Amino acid sequence: MSGLIYFLFIVNSAANTVCGLVFAPIAMFPGWLSITIISAVLGIPLFIIFKYTSNQRALTRTIDDIKASLLAVRLYRDNIAVTMKSEARLMLCSVKLFVFSLIPVLIMSIPLSLILAQMGLWYQARPLQLGDAPAVVKLQLNTASPKWPDVTLDARPGARIVAGPIRIVSRKEICWTIQPVQEGNHLLTFHVGDQQIVKQLAIGTGFMRVSAKRPGTDAADVIMHPLEQPLSAAGPVASISIAYPARHSFICGTDWWLVWFCIISMISALLTSPFIKNRFSA
Amino acid sequence: MKYLLVALAVLLSALLPGSASAYIGPGAGFAVGGSFLVLFTALVSALIILVTWPIRTIVRSIRFRKVYARSRIRKAIVLGFDGMDYTLTTQLLDEGKLPNFAKLQEQGCFKPLLSTIPPISPVAWSSFQTGVNPGKHNIFDFLTRDRKTYAPKLSSTDIKGPLRTLSLGRYQIPLGRGDIRLLRKGVPFWKTLGEHGIFSNIIRVPITFPPEQFYGLQLAGMCVPDLRGSQGIFSFYTTGTDGNGDNTGGEVYQVNRTGNHIKAELSGPHDPMLKARVGLKCPFEITIQDATSAVLHLNGATCALTTGQYSDWIPVTFKASLGMKVRGICRFLLIAAEPDFKLYVTPINIDPDKPVMPISHPQVYATYLAKRQGRYATLGLAEDSWALNEQRISDDQFMEQCLQTDRERVSMFFDALDNIGRGLCVCVFDGTDRVQHSFWRQLDPEHPAHRGSYQQAAEPAIEKIYRNADKILGETMKKCRDRNTLLMVISDHGFNSFRYGIDLNRWLEENGYLSLTENGRGKKNLAGVDWSKTRAFAIGLSGIYLNLKGREAQGMVDSGAEAVQLREELAEKLQGFIDPLHGKPVIKRVYNAMKIYQGPYKQDAPDLLIGYNAGYRAAWETAIGEVTGQVVHDNVKAWSGDHCIDQSLVPGILFSNRMIHDEHPRLMDIGPTILEMFGVPVPSHMDGKSLQVDGSGQKAIS
Repeated sequence: MSGLIYFLFIVNSAANTVCGLVFAPIAMFPGWLSITIISAVLGIPLFIIFKYTSNQRALTRTIDDIKASLLAVRLYRDNIAVTMKSEARLMLCSVKLFVFSLIPVLIMSIPLSLILAQMGLWYQARPLQLGDAPAVVKLQLNTASPKWPDVTLDARPGARIVAGPIRIVSRKEICWTIQPVQEGNHLLTFHVGDQQIVKQLAIGTGFMRVSAKRPGTDAADVIMHPLEQPLSAAGPVASISIAYPARHSFICGTDWWLVWFCIISMISALLTSPFIKNRFSA
Repeated sequence: MKYLLVALAVLLSALLPGSASAYIGPGAGFAVGGSFLVLFTALVSALIILVTWPIRTIVRSIRFRKVYARSRIRKAIVLGFDGMDYTLTTQLLDEGKLPNFAKLQEQGCFKPLLSTIPPISPVAWSSFQTGVNPGKHNIFDFLTRDRKTYAPKLSSTDIKGPLRTLSLGRYQIPLGRGDIRLLRKGVPFWKTLGEHGIFSNIIRVPITFPPEQFYGLQLAGMCVPDLRGSQGIFSFYTTGTDGNGDNTGGEVYQVNRTGNHIKAELSGPHDPMLKARVGLKCPFEITIQDATSAVLHLNGATCALTTGQYSDWIPVTFKASLGMKVRGICRFLLIAAEPDFKLYVTPINIDPDKPVMPISHPQVYATYLAKRQGRYATLGLAEDSWALNEQRISDDQFMEQCLQTDRERVSMFFDALDNIGRGLCVCVFDGTDRVQHSFWRQLDPEHPAHRGSYQQAAEPAIEKIYRNADKILGETMKKCRDRNTLLMVISDHGFNSFRYGIDLNRWLEENGYLSLTENGRGKKNLAGVDWSKTRAFAIGLSGIYLNLKGREAQGMVDSGAEAVQLREELAEKLQGFIDPLHGKPVIKRVYNAMKIYQGPYKQDAPDLLIGYNAGYRAAWETAIGEVTGQVVHDNVKAWSGDHCIDQSLVPGILFSNRMIHDEHPRLMDIGPTILEMFGVPVPSHMDGKSLQVDGSGQKAIS
């Protein structure tokens, strides 16, 4: 495991522990309520972080300049020279505004990625349910050799194998389809040569932490799939993923939960802006 | 805008759920989204303007083709320096201290400009803007009397609360805005210009509050009140014992120091939501760092204060009942941190960013200026001469206030100059007036305040402010090189020494025209006058009113022959009045309002207008309706120069970049002249006449 991946693993472990406790009530509430509460609450500290990581003075100047230029267009509307000058100024200000937001964006991208990854465990997919159609389990090999190791899957006790293994040589993948048979958090056990590798499997009806992928050495994968320990770069497996079903909801469903998070966190920030006294926009 | 941004973000997010994964928190989201929104807005609005502008231009050209064809100029700039004196200007020009004025004189002309009767700013600037005599614009003084109570009141503006309120127990909910009325009558010449398609940008011309609607922009000047509705009440906080005594124009608070901390409150307006008149307070705290510095904590913000340096404009929020807030701005000046703490706070100005009263036309013009250049003084009399009079601030500190205000004015004036294509720009600078009022004692060795406790400045303040005016003119001239631009520099009146105050009411009493009630002496607002035995009274700075039947509440003089005879009798006696202490004639001329004014409002004018001789002026007490025990008072205040004297003694100035052939131009001629230069017919009701300006006969500017 490289230094970066190891560092990310440590960070993820800490985040898993903390968020495991903090987000635990999600399992008990309706999804729309929990995502709304979390988004509203998170919007405030994120907004505060923006205040202290951005150049508020420069932002204020730029925002004032934008307002002045917009008003100049209105006040001197019959003078085309003023209008064009103001338009040019507006464009310059928009560039400035973008530049001034880069530093806070860079700084905030780290904590926000961690938080979103943790939220994604709950909302991005739903667990398998008893009676669901079989789900595909995909193992990505980490080998350049045309001779692949022997790979077997033990899905018990949570599921049974319906089909597989199917080897897709061009993609170095081995696939199975599994049928859930017992609710709970289970482990799929893969025997790869002489090694044994596990992957978490979530089966249930409510909200559970769902790890769709056990990542390998891709840093982005490690950030976005934080629940399981990354696989070793020297090992025979690059990653293991389960195609969990999408959650169908415009509030807390797959992908849409992020939209809802954007909306609610911004509204929350907007409502608290008079108290936080943050400058962020014209 | 914030809400628009949220709506846009929501829309984008809803349309593109995949893009939400790039979201990086609300603040940065707003900023990045905002930058794209601004770019989008700029591009769309630019497109709309580019498409519509030619159409609008063609329509205007057709609609106003006659005016445009007659127009001799594209742009007229009137730079007003309130109170700039003809004699003093001539002297400084001769000494080579005003190079830009000299250059302008060389280009065009320099002449004395005849003011109004009386030569007082509200009267004079009203005649300037309307082109009529005071009988037609209704402004005769700073103050007039309330016809019911005889108490003095502002002559130019009437400010009242909302006409209707909803009563809920101890609360009253205003239904609508306050009733604010401009009492100046007549039509400003820029309104006439606007009716003929000429745009105007008018900045801080006195007696323009509340602003009227016309084709152009206007920021109101003199008579804009502070947040408390007064003409400016400063605050002074001290741990010392000098907080006692009568303080005109300000309030002094004694505060206690606990360790390094001092807690105090700013006084705001009355709570508009309560029936009872409860003044709003805004608490603040000062932490003293050392002998020269402190930190101000106000409304959750902090500001470093250093002795002798004004803070920037600081927003102040007063929390009224039912969640309402009233916003203002003020500057803090730490005068001393130790041993005695002394803190001066300017009157709380209306915040131009979010004005609680209409101080501009359109209302967003004040906001535009605040966004463009930062917050600025909005109070009519922004320079706090009362704080200097009361010796709460020093000469240098007052001077700095005047220069700061002028700097703010320069920014807005040059912004207007840059933004006007065809049209008129008028800007009035007040620093010249306030500095001459306050520092004439430095020029006049015979002034009672010359030997007083006031420290003489190393550099004569009046010369400094004139040189500042010269600098402003220099920058203006650089922006007026176009030969189709008419530049005029004017003042509303000149200046002279104010050595002695004359208590006209005491004189009237001594001569049997006014009687006091028992214990009536010393009472303000003419409250001590026995009206059943009073035939005439004085109030304000230059007028005597007859106690006319049918006009005044307790009138006793018939408005016919008795009034005519009384006016003549008083005029004759006053003109013969010799100062018993100094042996000089006090009054140069007394003017009969019925003879010098024409127009529908002359009946409201003071019956007699006093043209004092140099060195004299109405006493401070007379202005506010107090009858003292002596007629002549030494004026020992810093306010040592004045112009409320005979108009012939205080001519203003007229510079122009074109030769003006008239020998005796008048202030009220400026408006008609500009109308004529723009090819706009001069309205027949105007008393002013168009001056003979070189280039008037030139070919029209297309």
